[in-house]
Amino acid sequence: MNPENGIRKLSRRSFLHATGGAFGSLALSHLLLRGEEAGGLDSVRHHRPRAKQVIQLFMNGGVSPVDTFDFKPRLQREHGRRFNPGEGQKVESVTSSPGFKVLKSPFEFSRHGQCGRWVSRVFPHMAGIVDELAFIVSMTSSTNVHGLGSYMQNTGFTQPGFPCMGAWINYALGNISDNLPSFVVLPDPKGLPYNNLGNFTSGFLPTKHQGTVIKAESDHPIQYLFPPKESSQITPEGEVAGRRLLQQLNRKHQAQRSGDDRLEARIESYELAARLQLSAPEVFDLSHEPESIRKNYGMKHETTMDFARRCILARRMVERGVRFVQVWSGPGGPKNNWDNHADIPVELPYMADQVDQPIAALIQDLKVRGMLEETLVIWTTEFGRMPFSQQQAGRDHNGGTFVTWMAGGGVRGGTLVGQSDEWGWKAVNPFWCYDLHATVLHLLGIDHERLTVRNNGIDRRLTDVHGKVIRELLA
Amino acid sequence: MRLSWVCVVVSLAVGVNCLQSKEDLRNPKTKHWSLQPLDRPEIPEPDSAAQVLSPIDAFIFSRLDSAGLNPSPPASRGVLIRRLSFDLIGLPPTPEEVEAFVQDPDPDAYEQLVDHLLSLPRFGERWARHWLDLVHFAETHGHDEDAIRENAWPYRDYVIQSFNTDKPFARFIKEQIAGDVLYPQDPQATVATAFLSSGPWDSSSQMGIQDGTIDKKIAQYLDRDDMIMTTMSTFVSLTVHCARCHDHKFDPVSSEDYYALQAVFAGVDRVDRPYDVVPEVYQRRILLTREIASLEISLSESKEKEKEKDGSCDLWLNDSDLNPHQRRDLIILKKKELEELPSPSKVFAVSSSFEPNGNFKPALKPRPIHLLLRGDIHRPGKLARAGVPDCIQGLESRFTIPDPDDEGLRRSALAEWISDPGNVLTWRSMVNRLWSHHFGVGIVKTQNDFGFMGSSPSHPDLLDWLACELRDNGGSLKQVHRQIVLSATYRQASKLNPESVGDDSTDRLFGRTKLRRLDAESLRDTIIYLSGSLKTEMGGASDRQFLLSKGVHITPVLDYVGFDPDHPDNYRRSIYRFIFRTVPDPFMQTMDCADASQLTPQRSESVTAHHALALLHNRFLIRQSELLAAQLERHYDELTDRIQRLFQLSYSRSPDSEELEAVGSYAREFGLANACRMIFNSSEFNYVD
Repeated sequence: MNPENGIRKLSRRSFLHATGGAFGSLALSHLLLRGEEAGGLDSVRHHRPRAKQVIQLFMNGGVSPVDTFDFKPRLQREHGRRFNPGEGQKVESVTSSPGFKVLKSPFEFSRHGQCGRWVSRVFPHMAGIVDELAFIVSMTSSTNVHGLGSYMQNTGFTQPGFPCMGAWINYALGNISDNLPSFVVLPDPKGLPYNNLGNFTSGFLPTKHQGTVIKAESDHPIQYLFPPKESSQITPEGEVAGRRLLQQLNRKHQAQRSGDDRLEARIESYELAARLQLSAPEVFDLSHEPESIRKNYGMKHETTMDFARRCILARRMVERGVRFVQVWSGPGGPKNNWDNHADIPVELPYMADQVDQPIAALIQDLKVRGMLEETLVIWTTEFGRMPFSQQQAGRDHNGGTFVTWMAGGGVRGGTLVGQSDEWGWKAVNPFWCYDLHATVLHLLGIDHERLTVRNNGIDRRLTDVHGKVIRELLA
Repeated sequence: MRLSWVCVVVSLAVGVNCLQSKEDLRNPKTKHWSLQPLDRPEIPEPDSAAQVLSPIDAFIFSRLDSAGLNPSPPASRGVLIRRLSFDLIGLPPTPEEVEAFVQDPDPDAYEQLVDHLLSLPRFGERWARHWLDLVHFAETHGHDEDAIRENAWPYRDYVIQSFNTDKPFARFIKEQIAGDVLYPQDPQATVATAFLSSGPWDSSSQMGIQDGTIDKKIAQYLDRDDMIMTTMSTFVSLTVHCARCHDHKFDPVSSEDYYALQAVFAGVDRVDRPYDVVPEVYQRRILLTREIASLEISLSESKEKEKEKDGSCDLWLNDSDLNPHQRRDLIILKKKELEELPSPSKVFAVSSSFEPNGNFKPALKPRPIHLLLRGDIHRPGKLARAGVPDCIQGLESRFTIPDPDDEGLRRSALAEWISDPGNVLTWRSMVNRLWSHHFGVGIVKTQNDFGFMGSSPSHPDLLDWLACELRDNGGSLKQVHRQIVLSATYRQASKLNPESVGDDSTDRLFGRTKLRRLDAESLRDTIIYLSGSLKTEMGGASDRQFLLSKGVHITPVLDYVGFDPDHPDNYRRSIYRFIFRTVPDPFMQTMDCADASQLTPQRSESVTAHHALALLHNRFLIRQSELLAAQLERHYDELTDRIQRLFQLSYSRSPDSEELEAVGSYAREFGLANACRMIFNSSEFNYVD
């Protein structure tokens, strides 16, 4: 981080920053105590929050809207004809050459729920919970490139170096629990998404706000939590005694250098580390989850098992006070994700089958437990796909329009905003990542225009200079 | 408005009259500090009883005087040698060096120590790291197709060598922006231009996307934007990138200025560029190439002349007595020699001419740069002319370029503008950076922003005095370092003492020297140094401290945890570590190593449970604690002596009886290796007084 980040926030925190200068010299309370006590929640919240925690489900690669949630009958009528959106409309496609032919969706659509939402047959389980979901059907991106698009949806900027939404929220609100990291990322075990760790970065915010990557499928989900197995000379007794020794040395060092909060914070960080060691393993132990839960999420089937495990884990983390959990579907690269260039009829259901049941189960589970009220769930992707074909039955990238939905904490289920054109090519009334991010911050009690950090001469925001809270979707 | 090709921050708030603010800035009456003429200020005479050792102290102590404060007493020699050593070379002194310095009766012992440390090659290794942070150097492209740059490392060596040889700062600037054009006879000057390519490169947009599409144009604009941002932030601490969408709201940078800078870089792309490491080979190659070319010309001309039956001889070639047959033979001979020269090396730098690769094609001559209205790629305005912001008195803001198609001339003009003695920003910016690294906080806190949004200097006269020292003394950075560390200000104790600090909780009055945490590299280097593992070989390809396997697409899969802690590639200094942009080393990242996706003038100091756990459980550190314990056991029979030595190595001091007992009894029960590991975790190890 840069000590030159001036910070404009409210109340006690701004005082701490103003007097403390660099982050490194912040008061102890800010560094280590829980968000509420640290003045985090109270001071940065600009209004009463509707949600306390967030689970973001990120579909990596660009989910096709016209094959999932954005039903376009015109594509059926014009299937196979040259795509012609009218005079003066320039049609470009980033990885394919002109000569574009309209491609209808191979999947039937039908209406679901009391709201009568159109959903294609690739998402039968999500179709069952549409009354919980608030849709934005005309999200727009300024880019048609994965890396840039992923950065945009995560950080609000197309270039690297900016903090992602989870980092901003972590920075603004602090943690609820000392026993777990505050911002957790659960990547697809097949690989990291486009931009690798760049999508979870704290950018110019202090490093501690970046996403902690947890490998749900591994024996060591949190790195460094315990000594490596090979180090047999490191015993639990030795570690307890070692921490005592450290405490003694560090206290003495600190006593000779009074007035430096960093030293006290450092001593406490070792106590926190010990607590994390005690509490974290329990989170990853799914063996006590009831049979019905495991079944509902899809832990029993190979197709859904992995995403189900990570959805259950996300719920368990939220239960235990993690502020922001991001669950990824699909690695970067050209396959095993939602980047369906070649064969929509095969490639799309392959991905949809993995996530559909776990996602629906997560929403229902949160609801049953009474957690949905204060937990915001977001389903999102970096862009959409073209209404015309690439190769035989694939679709190229399209930042013109795509679908995102939200559920839970403060969101009115069964609602919908936005509209795309008749082909699902471009948004008619576009919504941007800025609007989504502004709405998420709003639900957490934060005014997106007032959460700023100065970096390299600019007061940066998650929402850049844009963003409008999408009030139509709020409960 | 929303369709702008980049998302830029400056508010589009109506009613901001940028031109007015620009006038304000340049107007001497408004006196924005950073743009005022740079004149050597008078050295004040403080009333303070404290000993003034350098003009620096006169500035600092006068200011403390007026705040009713006194400087802190000098630190002990034991503290000083540890501080100075970490500061200048990033490694601690040996116990023997500490002892010799503490006992040295020579009153000039400190000066000698300073000169000694400044002369070590370790100095360049230490300070190059600060520079590489600043320019976001890494050895992969970044973005979603994060491929390895096999030839990025020569730039790292260039920076180390430049600092070690105390290259004049103006030359250092010029080489990095246009060394290939300005110093074609010096191969290292071509390597230097890797400065411009050090940041991320969007391979998927540049190579994967159809030419002529909007997304491709966006990628090219953004690529140049990174070069602009790196250049202007690094050398002149100006945040011009705000002006992409409209005139800078606060600083004297108009949108037109911004696109003038885009035009400066309009001819180059980031590519592997061939160069000869040995200057003689390079010169021979140039000579042979020229000779062959002229022989070929004269050969074709002589054919023409033969046709014309003209007997006059060719005056401009001294091979005029050669007949066409001999010329042909000579060409063959010279071509053969050319082929037999050692094949050129490569450096990932910038170039306007290279072999096309897919959709990635060279510009050959500068691409037309349009002023984009509101930064919108769909709304190109008039063509931009190469230049710079119109903010420095006495320097032209639009370049006069004899051949507009020669992109090298554009970069040269920028290099000259930045390195001009009259560019007041350049000199102020650099001395502030040096000061920041020596004291932990700058005279201007916002090192990359000297504009209205940045902070003001705490000691404007001192800043100007230092800037004049750099500008007027041949641009010697080592002299500025020397001035700073020889000052009484630098030598103050770190202990918080109310008489010296008062209400100055941010330590901006420099009434003491602030406790500093070791940065990631110093920490790691110190540990391998103490364990006896450090290898001092300099330069060359970077050490990849990870296992590499093929990824699903272009970005490979990296395994840092599985990398053998005994692998020989662990043992050089961390500056030689391979930095993978989007998958950084998790341990170093936890230790607040710079994120290579952005410019990092100063690092953070996070204090978290995860930080503690990483220091306790990192596999490599555990292995190093075993090696250190083994060293101690080999050299000393008694546990007391081993602990004694461990303290001297780690803290540059001996333990007291209480510490000896505590660490001793822990080592007896849990082994010396664990005791070493706990010392690595201790605050005293991680902080420098």
